[in-house]
Amino acid sequence: MARMRIRLDPWPVDIQGGQLTLKAFGGTLDDVETPRWAAISARPIPERLKQVFVVDGKRRMESRIFIEDPHGQSGLGGFGAYVVGAVELCPHGTRQAELLAVKAQRLLAHAPNLLVEPAQLTPRNPHTGQLEYAPAPMEGHDPLAALNTLQQHMLSAEQRLSHELASRVPLDETDDREWLTALTIQDGTLRGQNLNGAVVGCVKTMETMYLPADRAGLLSDLKPGERTPILRMTYEGGQFTRLIWYVRLSEAAFYQHPMSGVMRLEMFAPDDTDFLPPIVRQVANLSGMLLTRMGSRAHKDPRAPQNLIPTAALEQAMNRSMGSADLVTRRIRAHIAATFGQGAVA
Amino acid sequence: MTGVQGPSAATGAVVGMVLGTQDVTPVSFWFAVQPGASIQLDDLVVVGTRKPDGAEVRFYGIVDHVRTRHEGVTFDSDVQDVVAGLLPASVSYAARVLVTRVHPENFIPPQPGDAVRHARDADLRMALSADKMGDRAFPGGLLADGQVLPLNYRFVNGENGGHINISGISGVATKTSYALFLLHSIFRSGVMGASASAGRALIFNVKGEDLLFLDQANRDVAAREADAQAQKGLPRTRYELMNLPAEAFRDVQFLAPPRPGSAAGAIVPHVEQRASGVTPFLYSLREFCLRRMLPYVFVDRDASVNLGFVIGSIEDRLYRLAQGADTPYLTVEDWQPDTEQLIDEDVRFDELGGVRISTFPQLVAYLEYKLLDANDGEGDRKWVGKQSPATLQAFIRRLRGVQKHLTPLVRGDLSAAQAAQYRPDPLKPGVQTTVVDIHTLSATAQMFVVGVLLRDLFEHKERVGRQDTVFVVLDELNKYAPRDGDSPIKDVLLDIAERGRSLGIILIGAQQTASEVERRIVSNAAIRVVGRLDLAEAERPEYRFLPQSFRARAGILQPGTMLVSQPDVPNPVLVNYPFPAWATRKDEVDDLRGQKVEDVGDDWLR
Repeated sequence: MARMRIRLDPWPVDIQGGQLTLKAFGGTLDDVETPRWAAISARPIPERLKQVFVVDGKRRMESRIFIEDPHGQSGLGGFGAYVVGAVELCPHGTRQAELLAVKAQRLLAHAPNLLVEPAQLTPRNPHTGQLEYAPAPMEGHDPLAALNTLQQHMLSAEQRLSHELASRVPLDETDDREWLTALTIQDGTLRGQNLNGAVVGCVKTMETMYLPADRAGLLSDLKPGERTPILRMTYEGGQFTRLIWYVRLSEAAFYQHPMSGVMRLEMFAPDDTDFLPPIVRQVANLSGMLLTRMGSRAHKDPRAPQNLIPTAALEQAMNRSMGSADLVTRRIRAHIAATFGQGAVA
Repeated sequence: MTGVQGPSAATGAVVGMVLGTQDVTPVSFWFAVQPGASIQLDDLVVVGTRKPDGAEVRFYGIVDHVRTRHEGVTFDSDVQDVVAGLLPASVSYAARVLVTRVHPENFIPPQPGDAVRHARDADLRMALSADKMGDRAFPGGLLADGQVLPLNYRFVNGENGGHINISGISGVATKTSYALFLLHSIFRSGVMGASASAGRALIFNVKGEDLLFLDQANRDVAAREADAQAQKGLPRTRYELMNLPAEAFRDVQFLAPPRPGSAAGAIVPHVEQRASGVTPFLYSLREFCLRRMLPYVFVDRDASVNLGFVIGSIEDRLYRLAQGADTPYLTVEDWQPDTEQLIDEDVRFDELGGVRISTFPQLVAYLEYKLLDANDGEGDRKWVGKQSPATLQAFIRRLRGVQKHLTPLVRGDLSAAQAAQYRPDPLKPGVQTTVVDIHTLSATAQMFVVGVLLRDLFEHKERVGRQDTVFVVLDELNKYAPRDGDSPIKDVLLDIAERGRSLGIILIGAQQTASEVERRIVSNAAIRVVGRLDLAEAERPEYRFLPQSFRARAGILQPGTMLVSQPDVPNPVLVNYPFPAWATRKDEVDDLRGQKVEDVGDDWLR
């Protein structure tokens, strides 16, 4: 009789849902690369790939507010900050990784149809600089609208940055073939429409099992660096299509779930359902090599190896660029007091 | 216009910004070094900050700590990922500044973000308080970046303070070289003003014959200075930067003890390497008595209290005995020496039946007779006093012990003219620097010579006052003025240290370890210099004037580098000083006097 066996979800308990709360997938999945369902070993990273960018974004609500404009209109709003940034690195390790464009933007989200001026939070101390909040109208009036506005701004900024940095992906077979020289790794699933850049989304958390039961077994068998063939995935209702594949970054420890260390990658799919852009295949081929190298270690990051080393550094830099939340809210309070109050308070 | 007097705008290049992640205080702060800038220890920097009323306060300081680290990484092993190009990190390059001056004296802190600049020109003068020194500044060496360190002469010549003390391990700290460089700088920089010719130096040569070539040009100096200039990237040679001539010392007299055993007719200096220009020095027996030199023969006066009394009373007896005549020898009438017991056989019985004492052994024999043998072993009651025979015997035994060493130095077998000729006189007209070579002498004789010369000098200066500053260069102070114990030489040195500066005697003392020297001597030095130190020594309280980071660094200083502390600047400054322009060994003497070999050859052939 088989013994009972317990294995760990690799991710810390305070991350909601954990890594392996697998829901079933309701969309469709087609083979585009090969009908043969077997592991594909990693290929070396081609010389001509010179730049890899790791892009991520963060947002933070700093204060919810209530606004009364000069015309007597009023509504909700919020002070918030978001930041998108990138780490530029050489996939061959010939130069140091650098942070790109990590700079916080600040928004004063407000209910639509209000007359709102930009808020300039002047420092009490000349050595601490100004904080400037640009007005951004929200859609709707629900209490989460401010946060959603902030999120939308962040996502579109992230999207723009990802695609600006990457090489172009040809849309169909008649396209002139472009070399893959710059690749963007974006944290999380891809959003919005295809802007045509070589952008690969890294989904750290396996929440949905897209593969049918007879194929899912391969995920446990992958060796580090190996990947599955590329599949074309269409969500329920045919809304988005993506090209997806799975990669294993590291061996699962004996005490962990056998699928830990496996990551799903996705790229935008062209409209032509039969066309697999060569760049996507290249990216899939090199992804094992590239990501195993970038994977983190358990003692440094609780979400290792999926939370890539550059991503963790980027997250830290983005947090820093938004400044201390406590200090910012204190300055907002002081600003309100100085501008609209009877006397200044701390 | 700012409220700051003096320099109106900082001129040096911006090298960084005051950090906000470390405490910023009016006496010490950190700054982040700008990319592209390079800051090293000992760089002098200036920071200006504005008070709320708009007035500017400037902080001048010296960099005493520099460090780099990866910023934004958490684990030590992250360095591998950073180098592999995976982990973005920036190198944080920061430096700590010890503030040496705040102007005006508003002790507010600088603000994070304030620009830090290299202190140059007017700022440098402010940083090193050269503005307070005015024309009384003389070069004390070059800073790390090639700028000149001014020293305040008022703190050297006794006006505000005096004396210089130099510590450091022998051979690495090159204490004597730096002392001589300072002398050269004082004599030749013009800081003594109109009285430049009046400054004098008395240098004791305690090691080898190194200092017997001070008046000769060094043949290596041009090449060594060109090397140093190229290595440090200086615009001119170090001598030129300090506006000092690269020349040997001028108007030097060399004194050396006579060779032992030489006959009266041929008194020759006891030196090996230098053939000419060295004058032997000695004292006549009568001077020995008249000028009360006896105490300087005894190094450990406090071996017993009674011995001290004996020395005092015998000194007095000898003084009275020497009265009334001016021959170099003494004549006594109450002594019939037992000629067989004497080493010397030239005792003559003449001069009205008196006995002539013309050598130091004879003097000792006479004293032994008076103290122990006369009166059938009771001794001459007037000489003996109430002392016990044991003390008297101890006294004679000690005299016998030093007799051999003092015999060549204290003599009666001279003509009066010889005695005058060979009397050491560091204040001789026409002489600026006197080198007294005592390295061939035994320790006791060295103490005797140093003690007597300094005592004479001190007494002379007590009479004539402070004009004509005399610089006394003495190495191994720990030997002459040890922390423990008592001796007449130590008394003289203490007198010089405590009262000398008002009389115009300046002690440039040196020792390996300041902790072993009488505290009052070291603490009286206004200017303190430290070369390479043993690290355990550097932690002793004598070096509290060095901040901790400097104490740690004192263990790795190279020859030619010194930490200089002066009252005007609260922190020590690291300087290097040029290669000596005077020969320090016989093989460095520039025989050709700067000419080419061919030219000298032509002269000979003509």
